[in-house]
Amino acid sequence: MKRILALVLSLAMLFTLAIGITGCGKDEGQPPASGDTTTPSQQQPADKPADTSTPAPSVSDDPNVKVLNLWSFTDEVPKMVKRYAEFYKEKTGQDFPFEIKETIIATTEGAYQPALDQALAGGGADAPDIYCAEAAFVLKYTQGDAAHYAAAYKDLGIDVDKLLAEAEIAQYTVDIGTRPSDGKLVGLGYQATGGAAIYRRSIAKDVWGTDDPAVIKTKIGPGWDKFFEAAEELKQKGYAIVSGDGDMWQVVRGAAEKGWVIDGKLYIDPAREAFLDYAKKLYDNGYMNDTTDWSDSWFADMKDAGNKKVFLFFGPAWLINYVMAGNSGGEKPGEGTYGDWAICEPPVGFFWGGTWVLANKDTKIPKTVGEIIQWITLDSSDTGLQYYWANGTLFGPGGTKDTVASGAVMKRSDGTLDFLGGQNMFDVFVPAGEFASGKAMTQYDETINSLFRNQVGEYKYGRKTKEQAIADFKQNVADNLDIIVE
Amino acid sequence: MGRKKIKSVSYAKYGYIFVIPFVLAFLTFTAYPIFFTAIIGFTDLKGLGKTDFKFLPNIFQNFEQIIKTPSFQKSLVNTVIIWTINFIPQILLALLLTAWFTNQRQKIKGQGAFKVLFYMPNIITAATVAILFNVLFGYPMGPINDLFKLLGLSTEPINFLLDKWTARGVISFIQFWMWYGQTMIVLIAGVLGINPSLFEAAEIDGATSRQVFFYITLPSLRTIMLFTLVTSLIGGMQMFDIPRLFLNGGPDNSTLTVSLFIYNQAFSGSYLYNRAAAASMILFIIIAVLSGILFYILRDKDAAKMKKEMRKLRKAQKAAAREVAA
Amino acid sequence: MSQAKALKYEPIAGRTITLVIKYTVCIILAILSIMPFWIMIMNATRNTYEIQQNSIALLPSKYLMYNFKVFEGKSFNPLVGFKNSLIIAALTTIVNIYFNSLTAYALVVYTWRLRQAFFTFIMAILMLPAQVSSIGFYQFMYRIGWTNSFLPLILPAIAGPGVVFFMRQYLLGALSIDIVNSARIDGAGEFYTFNRIVLPIMKPAMATQAIFTFVGSWNNLFMPLILLTDKTKYTMPIMVSLLRGDIYRTEFGAVYLGLTLTVLPLFIVYFTLSKYIIAGVALGSMKE
Repeated sequence: MKRILALVLSLAMLFTLAIGITGCGKDEGQPPASGDTTTPSQQQPADKPADTSTPAPSVSDDPNVKVLNLWSFTDEVPKMVKRYAEFYKEKTGQDFPFEIKETIIATTEGAYQPALDQALAGGGADAPDIYCAEAAFVLKYTQGDAAHYAAAYKDLGIDVDKLLAEAEIAQYTVDIGTRPSDGKLVGLGYQATGGAAIYRRSIAKDVWGTDDPAVIKTKIGPGWDKFFEAAEELKQKGYAIVSGDGDMWQVVRGAAEKGWVIDGKLYIDPAREAFLDYAKKLYDNGYMNDTTDWSDSWFADMKDAGNKKVFLFFGPAWLINYVMAGNSGGEKPGEGTYGDWAICEPPVGFFWGGTWVLANKDTKIPKTVGEIIQWITLDSSDTGLQYYWANGTLFGPGGTKDTVASGAVMKRSDGTLDFLGGQNMFDVFVPAGEFASGKAMTQYDETINSLFRNQVGEYKYGRKTKEQAIADFKQNVADNLDIIVE
Repeated sequence: MGRKKIKSVSYAKYGYIFVIPFVLAFLTFTAYPIFFTAIIGFTDLKGLGKTDFKFLPNIFQNFEQIIKTPSFQKSLVNTVIIWTINFIPQILLALLLTAWFTNQRQKIKGQGAFKVLFYMPNIITAATVAILFNVLFGYPMGPINDLFKLLGLSTEPINFLLDKWTARGVISFIQFWMWYGQTMIVLIAGVLGINPSLFEAAEIDGATSRQVFFYITLPSLRTIMLFTLVTSLIGGMQMFDIPRLFLNGGPDNSTLTVSLFIYNQAFSGSYLYNRAAAASMILFIIIAVLSGILFYILRDKDAAKMKKEMRKLRKAQKAAAREVAA
Repeated sequence: MSQAKALKYEPIAGRTITLVIKYTVCIILAILSIMPFWIMIMNATRNTYEIQQNSIALLPSKYLMYNFKVFEGKSFNPLVGFKNSLIIAALTTIVNIYFNSLTAYALVVYTWRLRQAFFTFIMAILMLPAQVSSIGFYQFMYRIGWTNSFLPLILPAIAGPGVVFFMRQYLLGALSIDIVNSARIDGAGEFYTFNRIVLPIMKPAMATQAIFTFVGSWNNLFMPLILLTDKTKYTMPIMVSLLRGDIYRTEFGAVYLGLTLTVLPLFIVYFTLSKYIIAGVALGSMKE
């Protein structure tokens, strides 16, 4: 009897080991990631080989494939693709020839990326044809470890050069979507998330006698020195300039010259290092309400329910339309702070958030995929997604307006918002998109930013010296990431 | 006597047969992954989507590196601190409630309802709870801050979550709150299994409730207590959900637990699976050692002594038999 | 008679104070235990902006139907999630309870050479942290292509050391070998004995463990999230996590409603089986 048991046990062991070993071989077929075992560093744009090729002339779909696999982390893009299918039917009278199979996995539990990575690596019929990446981790898929899965837009038959110029796509989204190894464009965002300063008209009038954006933008910038001067003026009248230091951080982080990692080594850009002092200055001088972004108190400041009234917030259009409008304590001008806002250029250009759309280089239906992607990101005509999105008319009239990647579309569209007292938001966001830069990003940003802000907090409250905070920051980075820290 | 022995031997094979499913499932779903993880700890596997790996020239490099990592050391300290603050009140309260609810002399009405209610926190997911508590302590405005102001305990808003000990305390409290009900149920189950005649004898001897509890109930609960201690120890060492969702290890790594540290190694951008695996193995060794200590302290000393006596006796018998044979 | 004797020794005033203390503590704990549920349900009736302004409310608001409509918009199908969660949780519970009782029975009733060693082995397994195996586990499942199936979520439950321990303790107390012997004399096979005679005796212990297992499986988010990518297979927790899209677009009211819906079936299962908690399970020497 024991012998039987022993036999069963050993068979079980062999069985499981065998699976393990044979399983190991499955991924051998994948091409090595660019840069292979070394961590990809942030390359300077000048080093990128320029992509001067012409788009692939004849791209066609595999007639046997009837399914389009779409991976995303929200339902935003899937809804767009479905709408595209509806337009297709209206235009051609025939049903869209593919079944759209969408896989949506939220990013909140950190589960989207592992699943997407497995799906890309696994290949086969279930691999994504189109997939999305959020600003927080897009670099991994366009420039980092997963970049080799992406198809160059040109290989999908998209005339990238011509359309980019025509649509006046914001440069930063192109920079982020360009793969350094071959200089090809592999991803673009449909939404523009260049940021502006969103300020209160009534407070501006009280302190400076005017709420004209052209004037206010000279009061709060350019540059942070001017910003702090304005902060002092506001303080004299009992106002806080920002809600919390997190608001300022969004701008600072995007304004650095270089990214956190260069050639595999940690690099602290002076612009970011300066943030330690800025945060402390905000706190020590009472220029802010010391809230944490996305907390109850932060939202409360949008309707003057905080300690001091807050003068401005920094953010892209989505902050206005999806966050502030609802939290302003009212739904039309006159209620709460609704209608009492305006926007102007921030002291320093930045962008925040966004979704990039990519295609799988092994897709069997490149023609259709190319057409869809083109419609979403590069089509600046009145029937392109960009136009509908900007005017909030994709699903019928009256939807929320939003800034889009195409400057050309925004110039033609009506971005006036009651929330902004009738100001046309595109007037400010078009140039905002232009001076945002995507050059200082790395695929580790999410983690490193969070580690950095932790230490900023410690220094701000005087619990650590600046040297100690920086030292601890470096230690934390070394502990958690594969980056050389000196 | 002899007949019985033969009978039980012939059924012994069922012992093996019945446990086969357990063994198979364990080998496939637990043993193999652990084996695999252990192996990775000795290699350089890191980064995304890579599956080929090489053994490191210095086999223990990952282990050395992890042990030297300050964050890891901190996480060990944190885990121990948080667990202690959580468990001691938890076991005390659970024992107290157990004593109250199994007290034959002073029955609490509505016991059933209370028991049911106390277990309820275990049903809710850690995620929801962590968020709720995070909000409770909101700064500069939040329910607890408002309460403090109302009670006149402070004039300025306090950033509770900034203080290391408050943060740890809150996490300990959440763990405590989520598990005390279950601990209590297990303990009550243990008490119900104690022979009632023991209690009766104690009453006849005039023992007070307290004496009964300390001299009869507790010692009889020894095995159950051990079980509770070990499972709580393991659960505590693996604390992950709450620290991650509450403050993600903050402030300044003061609520970073070992599990969270491992997770960060694997998933915070560099996919350092090898270091994560090494850290996991270290964690396992620590748990094994601690559990071993617990087992030793709480072993049934009388039974152990008896076993020793039996063994001596058998040896003597065998020696005697040999003598006779020789 | 012994009752009367006992009463003599405890002064009445002291007793009342103790009683009052006990009731007060229990009531406080009860409120503490219910609070989060109450808040969750209240929040399910508020909309995002209300929640963003003030995360905690004790009174309901009027957005319940609105939050339901949000579900439709986000293709959140509670019925599908329910069904999947139910299948997985129920099967996991059955599998877990049955096979681990089987193992416990083997440890108690039969005398076999490796018995003590095996029991020690099981206690050792208890000590394995989930972290150690989970990464390896899901990588393993991906390699053998076992994603989008419920089986990898259910089958591992066959080996549950904690449950084995609990059942073993219970059997040691509640099962007398005479029952088994008389069944054997009557000509019953071992499996028959276990299934028809012993299992019914184990009902209270099984019910208690069933609650624990069901809750654990139902609330499990991480592993299903990684292994199930097919929309039709999503469990409730996965669907709720999907409601949290981009941080600025999340409809928090709907999220809380989703969480409430997720908890609801647990309440039902829980209250159904709770009479066992109230009656209590006895682990240990109860043989007489």
